Amino acid sequence: MDPDLIGAMLQLGLPLALLFGAYVFGNISENAHYRRLRRRERASRNFPAVTFKSIPPAWNVVNAELVTGNVVISIDHFKRFLAGLRGIFGGRLKSYESLLDRGRREAIMRVKEEARRRGAHAVINIRLESARIASSRRKGKGTTGVEVLAFGTALKLAK
Amino acid sequence: MILSNTESVPGKTITEFFGVVTGSTVRAKHIGRDFMAGLKNLIGGELKGYTELLGEARRQALDRMVQEAQSVGANAVVNIRFSTSSVAQGAAELFAYGTAVRVD
Amino acid sequence: MEFRGRLPEEGINVSRTHPLREALHLSAGLFLVGAVIVMLGAVLVDRIVPHIPTHWETTLFGSYGSSVAADAENGEEDAVLRASLQALVARLASHWPETPYRFRVIIVDQPEPNALAFPGGLIGVTSGLLEKVESENELAFVLGHELGHFHNRDHLRSLGRGLVLSLVLASATEGSTGNLVSLAPALAERSFARDQEREADRFGLELVYREYGHVAAAGDFFTRIHLPGTALERELVGYLSTHPVSSERIGALRVLGREQGWPDSGELRPFSR
Repeated sequence: MDPDLIGAMLQLGLPLALLFGAYVFGNISENAHYRRLRRRERASRNFPAVTFKSIPPAWNVVNAELVTGNVVISIDHFKRFLAGLRGIFGGRLKSYESLLDRGRREAIMRVKEEARRRGAHAVINIRLESARIASSRRKGKGTTGVEVLAFGTALKLAK
Repeated sequence: MILSNTESVPGKTITEFFGVVTGSTVRAKHIGRDFMAGLKNLIGGELKGYTELLGEARRQALDRMVQEAQSVGANAVVNIRFSTSSVAQGAAELFAYGTAVRVD
Repeated sequence: MEFRGRLPEEGINVSRTHPLREALHLSAGLFLVGAVIVMLGAVLVDRIVPHIPTHWETTLFGSYGSSVAADAENGEEDAVLRASLQALVARLASHWPETPYRFRVIIVDQPEPNALAFPGGLIGVTSGLLEKVESENELAFVLGHELGHFHNRDHLRSLGRGLVLSLVLASATEGSTGNLVSLAPALAERSFARDQEREADRFGLELVYREYGHVAAAGDFFTRIHLPGTALERELVGYLSTHPVSSERIGALRVLGREQGWPDSGELRPFSR
């Protein structure tokens, strides 16, 4: 074996350790987020948030206003590396699926929470938008994170 | 000023409508200062600094849209939509638009 | 229109494949593809290099090391020694009549015994090596070995291989492991593969035979050089250094001499310092 190959392999050790650490702690962080999400979703499942505009006839609308919720989430270093590998071979980018799933659910959760804070009882016409936040250090090529925006109209009902 | 993303304000009737009003801010989307983004990029998770930054920028865009609506004499903006578009190398526009109306 | 607060099932939008397994598959695939390209690249380089005209090499690298040589040539005390080294190289090179190179020898002031070939025809010999040499025959073999590297165009081969390696690494990692990529060509340039060393040994031994009529003591230099430490440490150092391990090398030289029918004994010419 060439000495230069050995040197190259030794140089691979640090990035590999970083990847492994990112995998472990990234998983912990993601699972914790999912637990928080599920808890909040369960707690607010009786707070209606819908995408249509129709207002049930039984509802007596006292007030209506726009509410928004947004979140910027980053994926961990390991998942980003996985996506890079995928970029060579093509195929489904499974590592980003959880990022977007978390982002959407978090944004909708924040809309509900904001609506509740303003004394509303339901949100209608929810829309979602996502945008990529790129890295400035890599001149816009990397993905620092994804922003998900959710917005709708919060209704205060007369009981 | 009443804001809604539905076509009419629930519970009210539109008496006059004035046309499209918009509000926008252009932000450098690639943000240099890190707000803990370096660590978060390693293990993942919310970039709270960025979230607040973009939230603030969007509030500004909404405020500008409201200003436009006030200037035409409206008291509500309906059918509000948001848009983010890349306008230059490293900059994006945060854009809010809707229809200015008068409701009773 | 009645509202029922129900939550959808968990995990539908997220694939339940284990990311570690996927990473392993993709990395293995990538490594395989990269290794194949590097190996094919090495074969390609070996095919192409003999066809590269030597005057390209001398033009490209001719000035390389001439500043080093100029500095070394300024020392007056070494002038006589250097002249005799130069004469020895000239005698050895005369047995390689088609040589396009104009060889130049310089003495590098270092205690470790070493001999280096620089692209373009420059040979460097350390003062530490000259102190350990006992006969002209041994020194002739060391110099002949370096001439062998020039004969086989080993510098170009290493350059080519380093290029292929860094290209593959750069495209695979999209430049994200920057320092690794920049290191590879430098490493590749500094060391020759073991088979290249063996071929240089062959060439050097043949030159010695042509010059002296026998190959006695050609490998003696290496029996005298003791690398420090235990046998394992020596093995390791030899593995990682620019030349193969001494004991292997001496054995190979003996076998080669016997195969070619070159006499193993004869008069040794002394080397005067």
